[in-house]
Amino acid sequence: MSTDEAALLEARGAAFGYGGRAIVQGVDLVVRPGALVGIAGPNGAGKTTLFRGLLGLLKPLAGEVRRGPHPIGYVPQREVYDAVFPLTVEEVVHLGAAPHFRGVQRFWRALGHEEHEFACRCLDRVGLHDQRRAPFASLSGGQRQRVLLARALMARPRLLVLDEPTSGVDRAAAAKILEVLRDLQAREGLAVLIVSHELPLLRAMAQEVLWVAEGRVQHGDAEALLSPESLDRLFAGETVEAHA
Amino acid sequence: MNDLAWHEFVELFGPAIVAALVAGAVAPLVGNFLFLRRTGFYGVALPQFAAAGVAFGFAVLPLWSAYVGLGHLDEAEISSGSHAALNYHLLWASLFTFGGLAALALLGRKGRGSEAARVAAAFSIASAVTILAAHESPAGEVFVHSLLRGEILLVGVHELEILAGVYGLVLLALVVFQRELVLVAFDREAALVTRRPVLLLEALLLNLVGATVSTGVMIVGPVVLFGLLVVPPLAARGLARSMKGYFWWSATVGLAAAVAGVALSYRLDWPLGPAVVVAAAAWLPPSWLVDRWRG
Repeated sequence: MSTDEAALLEARGAAFGYGGRAIVQGVDLVVRPGALVGIAGPNGAGKTTLFRGLLGLLKPLAGEVRRGPHPIGYVPQREVYDAVFPLTVEEVVHLGAAPHFRGVQRFWRALGHEEHEFACRCLDRVGLHDQRRAPFASLSGGQRQRVLLARALMARPRLLVLDEPTSGVDRAAAAKILEVLRDLQAREGLAVLIVSHELPLLRAMAQEVLWVAEGRVQHGDAEALLSPESLDRLFAGETVEAHA
Repeated sequence: MNDLAWHEFVELFGPAIVAALVAGAVAPLVGNFLFLRRTGFYGVALPQFAAAGVAFGFAVLPLWSAYVGLGHLDEAEISSGSHAALNYHLLWASLFTFGGLAALALLGRKGRGSEAARVAAAFSIASAVTILAAHESPAGEVFVHSLLRGEILLVGVHELEILAGVYGLVLLALVVFQRELVLVAFDREAALVTRRPVLLLEALLLNLVGATVSTGVMIVGPVVLFGLLVVPPLAARGLARSMKGYFWWSATVGLAAAVAGVALSYRLDWPLGPAVVVAAAAWLPPSWLVDRWRG
C-alpha cells in the first residue's frame, strides 16, 4: 500500500463485510488533517459496516486500511448506553483520557490535577461545564452527545469520528453540536469523519463524501455529490462524477 | 446467646473476623463489575464451581495420593486445617473456577444461547458435580457441607494470610485499572477504537473474578461470597450518585455487613457466613427507598 505520510486514516481498495461476504467494496479514502469527510447513503446500504471497517472494528476482507499513530476521538450513537452505570458527566469525560498504564506517570498526572483541568476545558468547549456533576443518564439526547464529544476530546485527538451525532436530537441541540465541530476543525485543524443520514447537514459541513449504496462506494466533493440532481441519480443507483 | 465474653470471642476468632472484614471490603468491588456488565449471575455460579472443585478434589484423593502424593499430608488429614490441605483444596477450587470462567467466556464469544441460560446451566451442572463428587467421599461430603454452611469461624492465620494476599492484589489491580475496566464495560466499542487493550483488560477482569471466587470460597465459604458479590453492589446502586460513590458505597455496605455479621454471630450464636449475608441484605430496603425518593 502506497502510504500518505500526512494521512490520519487511509484505505486502499478496501472491502468490508461479515462472515467472508463483502457488504461494501472498493473503498479508497485518505483523511488528512483538517479534512471533513462524510459517509452517507440509503438505510441498510452498509454505512455502518464501512464506518466500522475504517475504525478497525472490522478487518478488511480485501485491500488495506491504515490508521496513523495519533489518538482518535470517537463519538458513538448515544442509544448504546446502559443506565445501570451511575456515571456523572465528569466521570464520562474522564473515561476518554489517554490510557496511562505506566503507574508513575499516571500518579504524577493525577497529583498535578492536569487531567482534571483538561476535562473541565473539554466540558467548557461543549458548553456543559456547569452540568459536570449531573448524572449522565439524566441528560437529554443532545447533551449526552456533547458530553461524548468532550470525552472524545480528552484523548487530544487529531481525528474525530462521529456516528450519527445529530440522530434523535432536537434542532437546537444539533446546531450546537455542529457549531462545536466546525470550531474544532477551524481552530485546531482537527480532521472529522462523520456518518449521518442527514444529507443537508453533510452538504453544509463536509468537504468530501463517501456515498454507500448497493455495496459500492462513490467518493466525491460533498457539494457536488449531494446536490439535488446528483441525489436523484444516486438513489436511482447511477454513478455520479464528483471528484473530491 | 453466646457463652463467650466479647473479648474472648474476638481473641478466639480474630482471624475469622478479619477475614470477614477483608472479604466484605474487596469482594463487593469485584461484584460491582459483574453487576455493571449484567453478569451478576456469575456471582452465584462461580462459587458453585469452586465448591464442585473442592468436592472433586476429595473424590480423586485416593488417585492423587497414589500417583502424585500429598507431601506430609495423609488422607486422614485432608479435612484438617493444615497448610497442605488448604493448598490442595485451593488448587481444585481454582482449577474449577478458572475452567468454568474460561468455558463461559468461550461460549459467550461464540454466542451460543443467552448468557443467563449459559450461566444457569453452568450452575446446575456445578451443583450436580458437587453432590456427586461429595457422594464418592464421605469425608468430602462433611467438608463440603461445612463449606456451604459458611463456617468462617474456623479460619486460621494461614488462611487469613492467603486471603489478605490475594484480595490485596485484586484490590490493587482494581484501583490501578478501574478507569479502563469501567470504560470497557460501559462502551467496549469506544475502548477498541481508542486502542485500549480490550481483550487483555477483559482477561484481567476474568482473572480477578476467578482469584476472588476460588480463594473466597475456600476461606470464607460460598454463601458469604455469593452474598458479598451480589448484595452490596445491588444496595450501593440505589445509594450512589456517581461511579466513584458506587465503589465507596459498595465497599462500605460489604464492610458494614461484615461488622454487623460478626456482632449477630456473637449475640445470636449464628454461623458467621449467613449472618454477614443477612446483614448485607438489610441495606436493600433503604437503598430502594432512597432510589425511589430520588426518582
